[in-house]
Amino acid sequence: MPFNSYFFIFIFLPVTFCGYFVVNKFQKPKMAKLWMICASLYFYSFFQIKNLPLLCLSILTNFGITSLFHSDLGNLSRKWLLRFGLFFNLSLLGFFKYGDFAIGNFNWLFKTNLDFLQLALPLGISFFTLQQIAFLIDTYEGLNNKKSFLDYTFFVTFFPQLISGPIVKYAQLMPSFEKESNRKINLQNVTLGIFLFCIGLVKKVILSNTFSTWASPGFDESLSLDFLAAWKTSLSYTFQLYFDFSGYTDMAIGIGYLFNFKLPQNFNSPLKSKSVIEFWSRWHMTLSQFITTYVFTPIVRSMPKINFQTTMIATVMAMFISGIWHGAGWTFILYGIFHGLALVVNHVWKKRKRKLPPVLSWFMTFNFINITMVFFRAKDLDDALKVIRGMFGFDGFIIPKIGFKSVGFLKDFGFKIGPYLYPVDYLMILFFILSFFLIHQTKNSLLLEKEIKINGKMGVLCGIGFVLSLFGMNKITEFIYFNF
Amino acid sequence: MTNQEILKSVSETLREVLGLPDLVVSEETSANDVDEWDSMTHIQLISAIEGKHRVRFALGELQSLKNVGDMVVLIQSKISK
Repeated sequence: MPFNSYFFIFIFLPVTFCGYFVVNKFQKPKMAKLWMICASLYFYSFFQIKNLPLLCLSILTNFGITSLFHSDLGNLSRKWLLRFGLFFNLSLLGFFKYGDFAIGNFNWLFKTNLDFLQLALPLGISFFTLQQIAFLIDTYEGLNNKKSFLDYTFFVTFFPQLISGPIVKYAQLMPSFEKESNRKINLQNVTLGIFLFCIGLVKKVILSNTFSTWASPGFDESLSLDFLAAWKTSLSYTFQLYFDFSGYTDMAIGIGYLFNFKLPQNFNSPLKSKSVIEFWSRWHMTLSQFITTYVFTPIVRSMPKINFQTTMIATVMAMFISGIWHGAGWTFILYGIFHGLALVVNHVWKKRKRKLPPVLSWFMTFNFINITMVFFRAKDLDDALKVIRGMFGFDGFIIPKIGFKSVGFLKDFGFKIGPYLYPVDYLMILFFILSFFLIHQTKNSLLLEKEIKINGKMGVLCGIGFVLSLFGMNKITEFIYFNF
Repeated sequence: MTNQEILKSVSETLREVLGLPDLVVSEETSANDVDEWDSMTHIQLISAIEGKHRVRFALGELQSLKNVGDMVVLIQSKISK
């Protein structure tokens, strides 16, 4: 039951919303929490009921460990308890997510023939595991008071963020519930929530899904790609991923508002970034914060000395971990390493205080992001190299006819002349122009959330977007980050 | 140590770490205001402050520091303990 399904929009969400506020109206906050937990577990089960016990096991174990931190334990026991908690979470993630990858590499390295586990990745495991690791460490460091099981389960399972984030901290989510005024319907929040949900729906159904029809054939079907086809493929995927994930986040935040919860933003116009450092402060922000806080900082602290060189080593290591967190494959590892190295180059450049013209900075950053996204999307290295080869012109140039014959002279320069452009090609060019316009010239959801006053005109635009999206929802498409 | 004294000390450390001797620092100054203040210099700043004031920040606390003022309050709370 993804957010972009009729059942979610017309049945699940209204029923959950009404039930939640009706129970709250009778001054039964515990029952309201229980209602939300049940709704969230139902939401999860709708995708993968067989993995519901795994989610419950993860919650029970983490709750048990974190509760023990509040008992009279010595420092040594607390340390071992933290180690056990981290081991449990990382093992769970490792077994389901990286088991086959490890076996494949073992077989290749030692010429063995071990059977693969062939386990389907439990939905949302990467997200609910990270969220609980952060809670575990924070509790160990004395930042969390003892929580009730109901509160803890609510925090982990809250359905808008359960499957693909944003990765929230307890203090960002639960205090909203404790405020009594938040247990009543707030029309302003409901309006803002619906508005953000509609923006996300349009991004997903109209933009991302359309781009996916141009990105997928290039990656999954073509054996080789000429220059223009390769760029069409890679750019389409960059926009597909951005609109898909930011659309999902807008919807999640919008749903949060319906229930008077404010979830943190994940995107702040990342494709506008003029450096890789800036990109990572604007793209998947809650993951960046997690990696910086719980991966990068401990690595730096473990170094004998904290200086520029050691922080750069920690940066590459943290980005390597960020890459492999996305998926078990060499393409993800390379994606992480490329970004880690780019951050190092960026920091060195910054240290020298040399400035590039803003347009050039943006152009270089955007292209770097676009090229590395090929590794993020490709099924394997060969697939990625196929697209990269095409993008650098190694597999030829085919120029389409654009209504006049004068392009014929390009044959003398090694270009091939392709067929006339189809209407769908013009549509694609229009979508690219529209997307560049949207990422550069319009306010992003973060600003809209803070600044916008929803008036009649916005309502009409929202309604049109919603209705158009409904027509595009006859084929349900998964969100890309459901696979991570 | 008063909050003003801590602010003065943090400001000095910030200028040293960022290599900006003329930087004007107030309680509202945040990483958004200073281009040189990024995740890399932030960890160097934290480490320098920890050494200077003999305090240790929890990982989760680092995430909630929004500006210099937050840092001053947190250092004060740790010194007072």
